[in-house]
Amino acid sequence: MAFRRQIVRATLQNANGNNFAQLARAGGRCLSSASPSSSAAPADSPPQLPPFDHRPKPYKGPSAEEVLQKRKTYLGPSLFYYYQKPLNIVEGKMQYLFDESGKRYLDAFAGIVTVSAGHCHPEILKAIVEQSELLQHATTIYLHHAIADFAEGLAEKMPGNLKVVYFVNSGSEANELAMMMARLYTGNLEMISLRNAYHGGSSNTIGLTALNTWKYPIPQGEIHHVMNPDPYRGIFGSDAAGYAKDVEDHIAYGTSGRVAGFISETIQGVGGAVELAPGYLKMVYDTVRKAGGVCIADEVQTGFGRTGSHYWGFETQGVIPDIVTMAKGIGNGLPLGAVVTTPEIASVMSQKIQFNTFGGNPVCSAGGLAVLRVLDKEKRQQHCAEVGSHLIGRLGDLKEKYDIIGDVRGRGLMVGIELVTDRKEKTPAKAETAVLFEQLRDLVFTVSESRRTVLTV
Amino acid sequence: MQRFVARSGLLEGGRRRAQSLLRSQQQQQKQTRYFAQAAREKEIANDVLPKMPPFDYSPAPYTGPSVDEILAKRRQFLSPSMFYLYKKPVNIVEGRMQYLFDEGGRRYLDGFGGIATVNCGHCHPDVVDAIVSQVKRIQHPTILYLNHAVADFAEALASKMPGNLKVAFFTNSGTEANELAMMMARLYTGCQDMISVRNSYHGNAAGTMGATGQRSWKMFLDGQQSGIHHVLNPDPYRGPFGSDGEKYAKDVQDIVDFATTGHVAGFISEAIQGVGGIVEAAPGYLPAVYKNVRKAGGLCIADEVQSGFARTGNMWGFEAHGVVPDIVTMAKGIGNGMPLGAVVTTPEIAEVLTRRSYFNTFGGNPVSTAAGLAVLKVIDKDNLRENASTVGAYMKDRLTALKEKYEIIGDVRGRGLMIGVELVSDRQKKTPANAETLHVLDQMKEMGVLIGKGGFYGNVFRITPPLCFTKEDADFLVDVMDYNMSKL
Repeated sequence: MAFRRQIVRATLQNANGNNFAQLARAGGRCLSSASPSSSAAPADSPPQLPPFDHRPKPYKGPSAEEVLQKRKTYLGPSLFYYYQKPLNIVEGKMQYLFDESGKRYLDAFAGIVTVSAGHCHPEILKAIVEQSELLQHATTIYLHHAIADFAEGLAEKMPGNLKVVYFVNSGSEANELAMMMARLYTGNLEMISLRNAYHGGSSNTIGLTALNTWKYPIPQGEIHHVMNPDPYRGIFGSDAAGYAKDVEDHIAYGTSGRVAGFISETIQGVGGAVELAPGYLKMVYDTVRKAGGVCIADEVQTGFGRTGSHYWGFETQGVIPDIVTMAKGIGNGLPLGAVVTTPEIASVMSQKIQFNTFGGNPVCSAGGLAVLRVLDKEKRQQHCAEVGSHLIGRLGDLKEKYDIIGDVRGRGLMVGIELVTDRKEKTPAKAETAVLFEQLRDLVFTVSESRRTVLTV
Repeated sequence: MQRFVARSGLLEGGRRRAQSLLRSQQQQQKQTRYFAQAAREKEIANDVLPKMPPFDYSPAPYTGPSVDEILAKRRQFLSPSMFYLYKKPVNIVEGRMQYLFDEGGRRYLDGFGGIATVNCGHCHPDVVDAIVSQVKRIQHPTILYLNHAVADFAEALASKMPGNLKVAFFTNSGTEANELAMMMARLYTGCQDMISVRNSYHGNAAGTMGATGQRSWKMFLDGQQSGIHHVLNPDPYRGPFGSDGEKYAKDVQDIVDFATTGHVAGFISEAIQGVGGIVEAAPGYLPAVYKNVRKAGGLCIADEVQSGFARTGNMWGFEAHGVVPDIVTMAKGIGNGMPLGAVVTTPEIAEVLTRRSYFNTFGGNPVSTAAGLAVLKVIDKDNLRENASTVGAYMKDRLTALKEKYEIIGDVRGRGLMIGVELVSDRQKKTPANAETLHVLDQMKEMGVLIGKGGFYGNVFRITPPLCFTKEDADFLVDVMDYNMSKL
């Protein structure tokens, strides 16, 4: 992060800021505008946020400087934050965030693809507050209806025989459990994951993760990282067959021929909103199952209707996994994760005790169930499809206008914009991305940047 | 010489008088205690049921699904290995301080605390207030942006730590905290070998499942626990060296000398094993082991997931052993039931995570950390350390008296409000009395007392109530146990 700051400072001092400013403004306008005709507006006037009828509470807490100082002292040097001048976010409402001075920001990042229904959505708040006042925690050694109702609600959203639910507290925990299930069920150790994937920060999931920024040098066991079916940067473009063959090769030449399982995101989140080449999963699922393995779909970012076209990301590839993991959007920000699998796989898990103290607690379960209901009632999947395609359309126009935009991709409200300094070479435009990222912040607009050159929305 | 003898005779006389006065005072106190106890025992002998202390609170009427409906859904949609306590499971729908309520509004004394988790008391108003006010403001922005809640909580947590332990990392569970701690130790030292104790429990992810020292909690998965060495458990009741901590510590040195390169990543242990049946490390063990491990370049990790946050009468379990760890992990009581965990360590050790990026999406969110801060304040405001110490000691004394009465009680142990009662069918052989444990557990529930069970053999009552537990609550719990044991 410190290195990034140097790039930004250098660029701001040296570069011709005009182009970037224009791009930033255009980008901001595009992303904040609801009407398709505003491309007619002059490029130099800053766009306006859509109106929003909510007054944040006056903030009387510590200032940004005070908070930053405490963080540096008590939260360790590895804890990074966005922006040269970090935002002190003190309140949220639906798709907006508010800083200490009450300034409103359009939240295009949603706490990293997490706040699915909207910050402080009234119905979800109600469920959380009511349950918190009744019973926060007793564990599953006693009965409680919330976990059972929520499990039923989730299972109803699943295709095939995916109907046994395990509740955990995060995506990492969910993927850890899924990996254990795969190994136990098959009796094999070898796991396969995609290069550029992110699956978690615990010991086993660091092994599955395939981005060196996130991999500490610890032994990762029997894990194979196969070619990423990346339509933009991959060697086979959008031709899935070439990539799928790599999985066959890894199994044939790098394992005993029998594997535990394959795990992938359908749209890689941390990896920069990279959607898998069409048809990829069908081929790979087939290969993996022939080798005795199970197929795990990591829906931590793509789940719950975010892709617009489908409820789950894996549905966009026309497959049914054996295990599905989820977190982030599942609870609109509540610390909650889940693993859904088949009764056959679940029965193997029952050979020993598997217990999660906080998992499925009444408050998180009540919140999770409220999220499912809100997403259905407010037709959010459809909304993602509509707004998402509008967004991608407008970004596509921007790409025509600015050479620096190498690729616009994604589905629904999971969109990526990759910046390159050379469209042929696809040289990552690291400095420019960093600058644009900062300037968007000034336009009261928060996005994320993955792999230093992709803005994800 | 005569004078000297005479003077010493006088002093001797004074001493004898003082001693006799003290003895008679003690006898008087004993008599009072025995009298009260005798009265209770008379009641029990006469089949008079103990009475739960009064509590001025009415639960809300319950209109949700019934026990049968919930059970059916659990069977259909939840893990087949998900178990519940009791022949007839309890449907817990509400909680208030040290009491829980079922669907019929019946009140139970919570002697288990949601597994040593609800330290302040169910729905403690200060904690609920903090949660509700924060959740209405913002639940989740991530720590990519600033927010004061996580910073304030980290500062407050650091102020409760000895030594240079002042950098906190927030996770969502004990498992996540222990996973992170183990990784940090391995990164810091450059070694992989980790030492943990037999009969321990540290979590259910790959690394922590490996560190866990009980087969019941380890999936049939080979290859997950490479680099882990499990050492002799310094168990005063079942261990070969009784309470001689230093003798057990030699096993750690042996492992370092004969099973590793001589350099290790670290050592992880609970000050009092929770899942393992409330087994407190024999005195002298931790100081000796910490010395050996540090000589071998390793870090000492204290797993305070169950013993932390005032439960033992001190803020941290390790304090009673006179050591200062390098890394402390915590969860359970930290948020009174909020999914929250933490790793606290020194700035030097914290630095290792800067080598790459570590990020926990939910970790340190404003709601969980607001709850955590409220918990720390309640611990001070409600004097929970002292209460745990006093009521705990009182309860332990009463349980020890029960041990005199019933052969089946093999051991009573623990500290503060983390107490274990081990049942054996043979005091010499220490044969676990599982059936009786389950039976008494069940019967106690019927009479309104909820406690837990644990231990490798499943024959230990685990008593880890909310720390607002009173002496009257302790009396009720022990009386109910007494009553049911008398019926065995």
